[in-house]
Amino acid sequence: MKRTGFIVGFLAPAVLIYLALVLVPLGQALIFSAYQWRGVSAKRKFVGADNFRELAGDHDFLRSVTNNLWLLVGAGVVIIAVSLVVAHLTAAPGKSAKLLRGFSLVPQMVSLVAVAVLWQFIFNPEGLLNATLRGVGLSSWTRTWLGDSHFALAGVGVAFAWYAVGFYALLFGAGLRNIPAEVNEAAELDGSQGWHRFAQITWPMLWSVKRTAITYLVINVMNTFALVFLMTRGGPDRASDTMLTYLYEQAFVNSKFGYATAVAVGNFAVAMILSLAILFFLRRDPTSSQNRSEA
Amino acid sequence: MKGFIRGFFLVLAVLPLVWVLYSSLKPGVDILGSPWSFPTSFRWQNYGKAWTEAGIGSAFGNSLIVTIGTLAILMPISAMAAYVLARYKFHGNRLIFTAFLGGMMFPHFLIIVPLFLLLRDWHSLDTLHGLILVYVAYSLSFTIFVLSGFFESLPDELAQAAMLDGCSDAATFWRVMLPLAKPGLLVTAIFDAIGLWNEYSLALVLLPGADHRTLPLGIANLTMTQQYQADWGALFAGLVISMAPVMAVYWIFKDRIYEAMLAGSIK
Repeated sequence: MKRTGFIVGFLAPAVLIYLALVLVPLGQALIFSAYQWRGVSAKRKFVGADNFRELAGDHDFLRSVTNNLWLLVGAGVVIIAVSLVVAHLTAAPGKSAKLLRGFSLVPQMVSLVAVAVLWQFIFNPEGLLNATLRGVGLSSWTRTWLGDSHFALAGVGVAFAWYAVGFYALLFGAGLRNIPAEVNEAAELDGSQGWHRFAQITWPMLWSVKRTAITYLVINVMNTFALVFLMTRGGPDRASDTMLTYLYEQAFVNSKFGYATAVAVGNFAVAMILSLAILFFLRRDPTSSQNRSEA
Repeated sequence: MKGFIRGFFLVLAVLPLVWVLYSSLKPGVDILGSPWSFPTSFRWQNYGKAWTEAGIGSAFGNSLIVTIGTLAILMPISAMAAYVLARYKFHGNRLIFTAFLGGMMFPHFLIIVPLFLLLRDWHSLDTLHGLILVYVAYSLSFTIFVLSGFFESLPDELAQAAMLDGCSDAATFWRVMLPLAKPGLLVTAIFDAIGLWNEYSLALVLLPGADHRTLPLGIANLTMTQQYQADWGALFAGLVISMAPVMAVYWIFKDRIYEAMLAGSIK
C-alpha cells in the first residue's frame, strides 16, 4: 500500500508534535487537577476533587471569576457597539472608508505587551489622561486610575476594547456585506432608514455574525492574561485579578501546580458553559423562522 | 458628517501609537513630565540606548530566530498534513481534522502547567528551541485549518494530470499542488508570523531566565528596570522597534491579512 505510506508519512510530523505538546498535556492537565503537587515529582499526592472543593470556597478565585465576567459584559458591550459603528463607516465605498478600515486594525497588530505599556502611560497618575484633564480644567476628575480599585478593571477593559475593536469591526463588516442586496433595496423602497432600519433589518440579519462575535469575545476575555498581568498585576488588592492571572500566581509564584491546574479546568468550564449558552440563545435564525408576528 | 465620525475613530485608533512614536524621541524624563509636548530636539540616542544597553537588540535577534525557526518547521509540516486531510479519503480523516480544529477552541493557558513541566523534563526550559517547538505545536490548528481550505479549492484535474504523467502522490504534492497553493501559504505564514512576533504569555513561562528574552519579554522587562531611573526614553524607542516590522508587513499585506483573520469566522 504505497498510498497508505504516503498518507501516514505526510501526517506523522504534525500529528506527533500536536500529540506530544497539545493533546498529552491537555490530558495531564485534567489529571494534575486531582493532585496536590508542588512540582517536585516525588511529592505528588492524590486528593481527588479536593482542589475543586477548595476552589469553590476560594474567595480570591471567585473574585477573579466575577472580574472576568464584568470584563466580558463591560468590554463586550462597548466593543460590539463601537465595532458596529465602525463597520457601518467602513462598509461604504470610497477612500476614507478604506483608510479607516486599514487603521482600525492597527491596534490589533500590536503585541499585548505594547498595548499594556501604552495604556499604563495613559492611565499613569502623571500620564496622558490626567494631564489632559488638568489641561481642560477638570483637575478634580484626576485619579490614580489603575491604582484605584474602582477603576483598575475598567482601565484594563478600555485597553482591551481599544485593541480588539478593529477585529470585531472587520467581522461585522463582512456580515454587512453578506446581507443580500435585495433586502437593502426593499428597505430603501419602504423608506426604512437610520436607527429604524438598523433595529428592524440590519441587526436581525447579522445573527450568525453576532453569534460568532460573542463566542470570540467569551474566548478572548476568558483568555485575558497579559493585559492584567502587565497593567495591574491583578491589583490593587485583587480588584482586577482575572482567572488566568490567578492561575499564574498559584503555579509560578506559589508553586501549587495541582491547584493551578484546577483553576485552569475551572476557567475552561466557565468558558464552555458561556459558549453553550450563547449557542442555545442564538441558535435560531430570526430572519427565516416564523417568529415575525409583528411584521 | 460621516467623514467627521470616520476621522474621529481613525484618530482614536492611531493617536496612542503616534504618541509613542514621537515620545520615543523625547528625553525620557519628559515622557511623564509633560506627556503631550513635542520633542524640541530629536533624541536619537534613545534608540541606541534601547538597542544596546536595554537589550532590545538581542531580544530582536531572539524574536527573529524564534519566528523564522517556527515558520520553517510549521509551514511544511502543516502544508503536508492539510493537503492529505483536504484531498484524501481515509479512515480517521475527520477525527484527525477535528482534533486539530479543537486546538483553536481552548485557551493555551489551560495547559501551561503540564507544558512547563514537560519542557523542564526535556531540559528545554529557557531555550529558544523549546519555545520554537511549543510555538509550532500551538500554531498547527490554525495553519492546517486555513491551508486545508486552500488545498480543497484547487482543481482536481491538475493533480490527476500529474498522476497520469507518472508522478507519485508525494511528487504531485511538491511539484504541482504546493506551488499552486503559494498565495495561501504566504497569507497564512504572514498571519502566523505576526502572532508569533507578538506572543507573550507562553514565552513568559517557558523562558524564565534573562538570556533568551524575546521582544515582548524584553519590553516587559524594561518597564520594570527603567522604573528606577524614571527614564522612559529607551522603553519607548524599544516599543517602536518592536512594532515597526509588524506595521510594515501589515500595511503591505493588509487586504490579504483581512482574509486570514476572517477565515473560519464567516461560514
